[in-house]
Amino acid sequence: MKISKFIRFLRNGLFLVLVASLMLTLSCAGYTQQDVKAVRTTNVWTPFLDPALAINFINCVFYVNLYDSLIFPAMDGSLKPSLAKSWEISEDGLTYTFELVPGVKFHNGDELTADDVVFSLERIMTIGEGFGYLFTENVEGAKALEKYKVQFKLKKVFAPFLSVLVRLYILNQNQVMANINKDGYYEEFGDYGKAWLITHDAGSGPYKVKEMKIQEFLLMEKFNDYWGGWENKNAPQYVKEIGTNEAVTVRTLMSRGELEITDQWQSDENLVAIDQIPNTEMASFYSGTVMNIMLNTKKPPTDDIHFRKALSYCIDYKKIIEKIYPGSRPSGSVASSTPGYNPNLKPYTLDLAKAEMEIKQSSYYGKLDQYPFELYWCSGLVDEEKVALMVQANAAKLGIKVDIVKAPWINYIDKMATPETTPNGAIIFVAPSYAEAGSMLKSRYHSSTCGTTEQGEWLQDPEIDSMIEDAISTLDQKERFQKYYAIQEKIAGLCPTICILEKADKQVFRSDYVVFPVAELVKQGKPCNPIFGYSFYFRDFKVTPEKAQSPYAPFKP
Amino acid sequence: MLKLRIFLFRRLLFSIFVIFGLSIVIFIIARVVPGDPARMALGGKAPKEVVQRLRQEMHLDKTLPEQYFFWIRGVLSGDFGRSLRTGRTVLEDIKIFFPATIELVIFSGLLTVIFAILFGTLAAQHKNTWVDNLIRILSYFGVSIPAFVAAIIFLLLFGYYWTILPVLGRLSSGISYPTKITGLLTIDSLIQGNFVAFWDAFKHLILPSTALSLGRLFQEARITRSSMVENMHKEYITAERGYGIPERIIMFKYLLKPSLIPTVSIMGLDLAASFGNAFLVEMIFCWPGLSRYGINGMLTKDLNVISGVIILYGTIFVITNIIVDIILTFLDPRIRFSNR
Repeated sequence: MKISKFIRFLRNGLFLVLVASLMLTLSCAGYTQQDVKAVRTTNVWTPFLDPALAINFINCVFYVNLYDSLIFPAMDGSLKPSLAKSWEISEDGLTYTFELVPGVKFHNGDELTADDVVFSLERIMTIGEGFGYLFTENVEGAKALEKYKVQFKLKKVFAPFLSVLVRLYILNQNQVMANINKDGYYEEFGDYGKAWLITHDAGSGPYKVKEMKIQEFLLMEKFNDYWGGWENKNAPQYVKEIGTNEAVTVRTLMSRGELEITDQWQSDENLVAIDQIPNTEMASFYSGTVMNIMLNTKKPPTDDIHFRKALSYCIDYKKIIEKIYPGSRPSGSVASSTPGYNPNLKPYTLDLAKAEMEIKQSSYYGKLDQYPFELYWCSGLVDEEKVALMVQANAAKLGIKVDIVKAPWINYIDKMATPETTPNGAIIFVAPSYAEAGSMLKSRYHSSTCGTTEQGEWLQDPEIDSMIEDAISTLDQKERFQKYYAIQEKIAGLCPTICILEKADKQVFRSDYVVFPVAELVKQGKPCNPIFGYSFYFRDFKVTPEKAQSPYAPFKP
Repeated sequence: MLKLRIFLFRRLLFSIFVIFGLSIVIFIIARVVPGDPARMALGGKAPKEVVQRLRQEMHLDKTLPEQYFFWIRGVLSGDFGRSLRTGRTVLEDIKIFFPATIELVIFSGLLTVIFAILFGTLAAQHKNTWVDNLIRILSYFGVSIPAFVAAIIFLLLFGYYWTILPVLGRLSSGISYPTKITGLLTIDSLIQGNFVAFWDAFKHLILPSTALSLGRLFQEARITRSSMVENMHKEYITAERGYGIPERIIMFKYLLKPSLIPTVSIMGLDLAASFGNAFLVEMIFCWPGLSRYGINGMLTKDLNVISGVIILYGTIFVITNIIVDIILTFLDPRIRFSNR
């Protein structure tokens, strides 16, 4: 074929493409290695920076690093002083007085005082979102006694109050008030700085916001004047959270050496594949998250205790852990990593003989075909479907018909608003907000949480309610924990929930140049922080980029 | 010319009705889908009174017609409401995220126009030769591979095996964003003479825009080819050849122009549709665009986001169609001078 001018033009075009490719290659080859200590991690979404707005893991990781609290949770679950260097509790347990560390600087250089603590408490209680519920229920108010002394008054005795204070993040009052939008909902406080805090922080934590691009990334920089000091010389100078958890993207970034830690939302299959990349390691730890099948106790056939027990005995927990959630472990209503869990309580195990015995005692026995068990799993979490199918297969052995329903989370919220619409069974993960069994027991089984996705059981048991209220108002920890044990026993007897497992949070990280403190503790068999978010206290991380091996793409600030 | 103006006026008038209709449909669909958006935004642990306060703030405690009234009144004054997910006004979010999508769509549109016409013309010119066959085979692949699969393949090839192109976001870390003028990083960086940022932004655009354009590029190349082959046998072309007009002029001046009419019609629709179709590509490349923002809004039932983004995309669709009609009147005078 005669080559026309047009073909020549095309050939020239191809030549240009080749030249462009060469230039691209050269531009990459010119990449100079820098030893900037940085941690890059992925997440579902760029976080909310306002500590009054959210309660989930994604956001808590950043609250912990951008802000300080009066009390800090230690890795073993105990509490240690933070902004509060000491405290006194009145004999009636209603007044808490804290002495603050003097000279603490916010990121803008202002000094942190008792007024800021009062402001932060009033702000979270007024907004009422996020962790606000922990305070609105129990706290009457706070006042600044002196520049460095603040006093909290409780409405009623609330023994885990110190544990709850780890969720009160202190904001710079002057900075927030200088950035309020006057058209907001909160009268003289306008929008309480909510709009400004979307992309800024007003904290005193070890890291400060350098750049925030919603949907894209959050870049935090080490706060050199941090009051707690920087003994750890290898702490990351920068932390970048990339707002995506797309499996293929995360895997690509890791393989290019552009990521230090993956997010925890990757499927097990993807994590195993990422773990094959040289110089990576999988960290697996617990943060008290329990996978439940919430059984609606107000709707047939799950209103029958024997039916619920039969279901609980016919599930192959071991196989679910082995095949679907490897690394996880059996659990009761409170996970074993949460202080106050009952170690003497044996979780349900597969026992078909017992299951058969229970189903025979059920009032629905003989007419099970008329009462199918409707089981919801959350679309997007494909492993939940596998669990539902395993439940279905085993329940069939007892003659129980399980109707599996795939539902998006918004459907869960809608359906669980009333006992009539709440499904017989709903697979839901729940984690404690603070490090005590009381957090789980109150949110999961107290009547006040009925109608939310925290409690699909509709237990509404006055005895359980009063037991929970009594326990969380018991000041003596030993006595309180004994009461938690009793509640857990009582709940296990009523069997309103099938507690499938305590989920292991898994992430792959670069083990050649990153020391991930939680992973180290797990290796040593020591407990790790049971409160979500605190496993990512980047001040304790160690990064030594000079030890990085291939593949590694240095971080450019 | 007067007729053209009347034609445009009528199209604009109908467009207003179309957008108004769309606003009602999307408003109702977004609200009848099960799930309380206030509870969804605040989570299971938020006290009932806080949820109720947010419902009141969003007018969710009112009847559907009342809710529509409040919403449309806001929209007409440029207020689409507040996003529950980002906390900002939807308008503010649109201003931030839309330029990223526009840049992606424009770039992929350019790729489509250039290569669709190039491949279509080449295939027609060398009809039934190896060139035509090669383009045909490529077209089958291009059309049958969805944009997100192409994105994953590109990610694998250029992100994993041949790591010469960036795979994440719009700009590499270490490179400062140019001051916002248009929001299109390539344009803004060029205006400010920041060639480092321009080159980096350009490199970031290559993979997502190619993935987005691949399917429609080959589809339109096939349409161009068919149309040109059909016109090639028309008498006026034979007459032009008889007059000894050079083949190059026949090809580009007399054959390509009328043959582009079906291509341009499809291109217009495709370009408008790619705003919506971009979401998977945006997700895979972590591209902070409006389509990704919209789809996340749908997944979390962020009512104002859903309505705002769909109304915007509906308007783009309508405007693009009007522009296509105008282009067609220039390509084919019969349309311009017909009874319209």
